[in-house]
Amino acid sequence: MTTLPREPPPPVIRLSAVAYTYRGPPPVRALKPLDLVINRGEHVAVTGPSGSGKSTLLNLVGLLDRPTEGVIEIDGLDVGAAPERDRAAVRAHRIGFVFQAFHLLPHRTAAENVMLAQVYADLPRRRRFGAAMAALGQVGLAHRANALPTALSGGERQRVAIARALVNNPSLLLCDEPTGNLDTATTAELSDLLESLCRAGTTLLVITHNPAVAARAQRQITISDGQLEEVTGRPVPAGQNGDRDAHGAG
Amino acid sequence: MRTARARRRNRGAPAEPSRLRARDLGSEALAGLLQRPGRSVLTMLGTVLGIGAFVAIVGLTETATGQIGKEFNVLDATQVTVTDTAAYRTSKPTLDFPPNSDGQVDRIRGVIAAGVWWTVPMSQASVSALPQASGGNAIGLPVIAATPGALQASGARLAAGVLFNEFHQARAQQVAVISQTAAAQLGISNLENQPAVFIEGQAFTVVGIIANDPRLPAMNLGVIVPESTAIHLWGLPRNGRAAQMLIHTRLGAAQVVAAQAPIALRPDNPKLLSAAAPVSPAKLRRSVTTSLNTVFLALAGIALVVGAVGIANTTLVAVLERAAEIGLRRALGARPRHIGAQFLAESTALGLFGGLIGASLGVLTTLVVTVYHSWTALLDPRVVLAAPFVGGIIGLLAGLYPALRASTLEPADVLRR
Repeated sequence: MTTLPREPPPPVIRLSAVAYTYRGPPPVRALKPLDLVINRGEHVAVTGPSGSGKSTLLNLVGLLDRPTEGVIEIDGLDVGAAPERDRAAVRAHRIGFVFQAFHLLPHRTAAENVMLAQVYADLPRRRRFGAAMAALGQVGLAHRANALPTALSGGERQRVAIARALVNNPSLLLCDEPTGNLDTATTAELSDLLESLCRAGTTLLVITHNPAVAARAQRQITISDGQLEEVTGRPVPAGQNGDRDAHGAG
Repeated sequence: MRTARARRRNRGAPAEPSRLRARDLGSEALAGLLQRPGRSVLTMLGTVLGIGAFVAIVGLTETATGQIGKEFNVLDATQVTVTDTAAYRTSKPTLDFPPNSDGQVDRIRGVIAAGVWWTVPMSQASVSALPQASGGNAIGLPVIAATPGALQASGARLAAGVLFNEFHQARAQQVAVISQTAAAQLGISNLENQPAVFIEGQAFTVVGIIANDPRLPAMNLGVIVPESTAIHLWGLPRNGRAAQMLIHTRLGAAQVVAAQAPIALRPDNPKLLSAAAPVSPAKLRRSVTTSLNTVFLALAGIALVVGAVGIANTTLVAVLERAAEIGLRRALGARPRHIGAQFLAESTALGLFGGLIGASLGVLTTLVVTVYHSWTALLDPRVVLAAPFVGGIIGLLAGLYPALRASTLEPADVLRR
C-alpha cells in the first residue's frame, strides 16, 4: 500500500458527459451532454430560467433519477448505474437534501424531524437525540428543538430542514430553491447560514432563482436549454479559501 | 491505471446500506397511525365489527350449545332400551327376547350390562309380609320380573342384602328384591332373620332392599323377582305390558349398540324388536350450530371484507396524501421496500388493533347475554386469542396494494409538488 503514490481525494461530484432525455412521446432532451466537477468544500450555485433543466440536474446529482447517458460519480463512486440499494445508501450517508417546500413532517417536533434522517442511516437510537441537537445547534435552533413545525417561522423551518440534511455529516448539501418560500430578510439570513456552513467545510450545491443567493457562491453555473455554462465566480476573499486552492474549480 | 481504478472503486464502495430496523419500523408505523387518530379509529371500525361479530357469534353458539350439553344427562347418553314391539301388536302373551338375552347382548362391544324386565301383568298384586292365612295385611304393589342383568344395568343401589343372581334365575327360585318404599310399607326393616313376602299367596325370600334405582323408576316402588320365576308362576308378559331390555353402555357406544342389539338378540327376525338410543350429543350440537352459525358467520365475514376494503381504501388515500413524505423518506435514504414495509406495517397495525378491540367487544357481548340468561359462558380461548391475529392478517392483505403503490412512487416526481 505504501508503495502506491498518494492520490488526491476524488471530487465530491464528477459528471462526465451526462445527459438526460425524458422518454416521450415525444422524447424531450432535458440535459445535453455535460461535464461538471465539484470539489470538497466548494459552494456552487446553479441558476437558470424555469424549464432549463435545473431540476433534472438536481435529481440526477441527488440520485433521485438516473441519467440516460454518461457517468455520475459521487466521492469517486460510480452511482449512475449502481443498484438502488447502493444509491439509497449514498443518499442516506453522503447527500443532504434541502427543499423549497421544507418537507417537514407536521406532527413531529423539530428534533424528531431531524432524527428521521438517522433512521435510514441506521444510527443507534441512543445516539440520535444528541446528534440531532448538535445539528440544530449548528443552525442556531437548539432552543426550538421541541417546537412543532407549525409553531416555527418559515426561516426556522428551513433551518430545521438544513439541520436534518446535516445530521449524517454528508459529503454534499444539495439545496433546491432553499429560499423560494422565504421573504427577503429571511433569505439573507439563510444565505449567511449557508455561507457559514461552507466555511465550516460543507460542500454546497444550491439551485436557485434568486441572484442574491447565487451571488454568495464561489462558483456560479447557469443552465439554459439543457446546456451548462460556467460563470466566473466572485473572487474568494483571501484567507478564507485556505487549502481549497490546491484543487480549485474543475 | 487498472489498479488505480480498482482501488478507487474499492474506496468508493458505498457505506453500509441504508436500513429500517424493526423497532424503527414499528415506531414509524405507530407514529403514522397516531398522526390522524380519528381516521385510524374509523378505519378500524369495519375490522372491529367483523371480528367482534365473529367472536360474539362463536361465543354465543358455544354457550347455547353448552346449555344443551349440560342438560344432556350422562345417564341418558349411556342407555339403550330395546322394546319388544311385536308384543304390542298381539293380545297373546309374548316374549320375543330369547332365554339367553343378557349373554347375547353382553358380548356386543361397549355393553357394560344388559337385561330383560317387565311388569308382571297383575294390576296391583297383593303383597304381604305374612301369609294371608295368618291374617297379614296385604297391600297392592307392582311386581317386576327382571333378569339379574337388568338389575345390574339399571344401576340399582342396595340399602341391604344382595341382588338376586344367575343362580336364582337359573333355578327359578322364589326370591325377591324389594324397594325401600315397599320395605317400609311391609314393615321389613332388616334382612337379618330372612324375611319373606307373599305375592298372591306365593312366598318369596327377600334377599335385598334397593335404596335407589336411577334408570328404572318402577323398581323404586315395587317388588322385583327373577324373570324365570315370574314366567313359571304367572306366564309371559301380556296385556300390553311388553318386555323391555335395558342396556347400560360405555359413553359414546350407545348408538352402535342400539344398531346391533336387535340383530344380536333375534338374528332370525330382528324386526320383532326395536332399539331406542339417545340422540347423539354431537348430532344435537351440530343441528343447533349449523342453523345459527351459517347465517351469522356469513354476516361477520361480510363485515370483515368491508373492514378490509376500508383499510385498503384509507391506506391508499394516505399513500397519495403522504406522497411528499414518501419522497422525503426516499431522499433520506429509504429504499422502496422500506416505504412498502412502513405502509404494510401501518395497515397491519390497524387490523391488529381492530381485531383486538373487536375480540374484546365480542367477549363482552357474550358475557352480557350469558349473564342475562343466567347461562354458563363458554368460549374457546383459542378463538379469542386468534381474533387479533386474524385482524392483523386482514390488515396485511388490505395493505398489500397501497404498499406496492407507495414503494413504486418516484421521489423525483413527488418532491417537487
